[in-house]
Amino acid sequence: MSEAEVSSTPGAALEAERLGKKYGRKPVLENITFAVQPGEVYALAGPNGSGKTTLIRLLTGLAFPTSGVVRMLGQDVYNGGYVARRALGAVVEAPAAFYPHMTGRQNLEMIAFLTGMADAEARIREVLVRLELLAVADQPVRTYSLGQRQRLGLASAILHEPQILILDEPTSGLDPQGINKVHEILAELAWKGVAVLLSTHHLREVSAYVDKVGILGGGRLLEEVKLGTKGETYRLRVDDPAKAAAFLKTVPGVQNVSLRGVNVIFEGSPNVALAALVREHYQVQFLEPDYFDLYDYYRERVKNA
Amino acid sequence: MLRVLIWEFGKLMRLRSVQIGLLAALVLPLLWAFAPGLRAQYGLELVSGWQVPALSLLTGMDFLFPFLTAMAAAEVLGSEVSMGTLKSVLLRPSPRSRLLLAKIIVVLVYPFILLAVSLVGSLLAGLPFGLGSFFGGTGLGAGSFAGVGQLSPVGALTELLRAHALAGVVLWPLSALAMLYAVIFLSTTSAALAAVSTLLLMRLLIAFPAIQPFLLTSYLDLYIRPAAVGLGLPLLIIYTVGFSVLALLIFERKDI
Repeated sequence: MSEAEVSSTPGAALEAERLGKKYGRKPVLENITFAVQPGEVYALAGPNGSGKTTLIRLLTGLAFPTSGVVRMLGQDVYNGGYVARRALGAVVEAPAAFYPHMTGRQNLEMIAFLTGMADAEARIREVLVRLELLAVADQPVRTYSLGQRQRLGLASAILHEPQILILDEPTSGLDPQGINKVHEILAELAWKGVAVLLSTHHLREVSAYVDKVGILGGGRLLEEVKLGTKGETYRLRVDDPAKAAAFLKTVPGVQNVSLRGVNVIFEGSPNVALAALVREHYQVQFLEPDYFDLYDYYRERVKNA
Repeated sequence: MLRVLIWEFGKLMRLRSVQIGLLAALVLPLLWAFAPGLRAQYGLELVSGWQVPALSLLTGMDFLFPFLTAMAAAEVLGSEVSMGTLKSVLLRPSPRSRLLLAKIIVVLVYPFILLAVSLVGSLLAGLPFGLGSFFGGTGLGAGSFAGVGQLSPVGALTELLRAHALAGVVLWPLSALAMLYAVIFLSTTSAALAAVSTLLLMRLLIAFPAIQPFLLTSYLDLYIRPAAVGLGLPLLIIYTVGFSVLALLIFERKDI
């Protein structure tokens, strides 16, 4: 595909356009298109073998696609040279890999040099403090626990204050306290305008602060779920849900009516819906807010793919 | 680039194959110098410590040094793949070619380190035989071990340094070939095996006299054939540059 054929998403920090990857004749990823805006957190979810790791390798320029393009701040990652990676901070393995004979601080110094950072001492200390690694900073990495290595990975990724952060399973191997720390840092970075893309199996953990979830399955982007933009949703159980749902669709002030198992899901005014159902002599057993359960949604989506 | 090179040398010296190789290069001369079957093997009675390095070089270059060189070159990249550190480094805004070039330079220097250690070990093993002037040859110069008359310590050392330097250049194409295979396979074992197999296969090609002068395997004994240096040395350098450039080109678009 030529560069001219690919359209760009205005303002996107990171964008993938019709990205495809084949190993031999076997397609691993097909036609993946999405964009992450500055300040947005994008979670990639999908079962094992769905192509998450391959997609992350393509996004970071470690692997090359069979078709399509990835742009970072508008710059082609594959043909723009290594300069395109200046805006990128990434950890693509869990746990993050470091030279085991070097100390955590020495590893960060090497990364700072390769990133072209001048006078990085103060910043290295800052990230070591932020990730609670200062006490072990001068010990060889081979003595680090799994969690410490994972936190050092995040430290290395945010060291040069990147505008784009790509993380593969950033909380893998961490204790609950470490997990909270990572989520806190990622949410803070997004608030500061960093575009964050992470792959995760722990959707309930990240649903508090992610903006979009890309659900991968069989090498395709099955769906992109936008969180936090949905209207107030309710669910109710009633004696004849199919008939009640059909009726509610005709009621003004009630929208997006659907059936989920034996429950009727709708958006709009719960008082209006309840009054209308009672007026028509339906037996309403309960009515409550329907909190969006990302994990349940993901399970359903992947099952039905 | 200098800082990257220093890092690469530091990493090289920590590789297990390098540490074992250097130990072998140091110990081998001791075994040879005092081996009871030396006379039977070479028909040689050592008359000077200056003759021990030739024994180490002749036996080492037969298989051990080429193997150790290929192994180290393959592990320089392969170990980074297996540890996962290659990905971490390639994520930085630094050209891939710079990283691989530093690695190629390091693996091209390694044969000289290996041979220098072998030379030092040989001279240490030769101490009991004396390192003064003697009648005979070092085994690496004119007249081989019989020599052409009296040889001074300076003359002997010059012969040894020249031969070891040439032997280092002889090992260059193998280092570059192992690095090329390491880039292709991203695996230490596969790359080392492929490099050694290629060498062995090339040796079989001497059955085709027309191509024999152009095979790198025709010059593996260049360090004892000064007459062949005119054609052999440029050819070995061409092979080295060719394999290195190919490795750089492939690495630039290699999926990691």
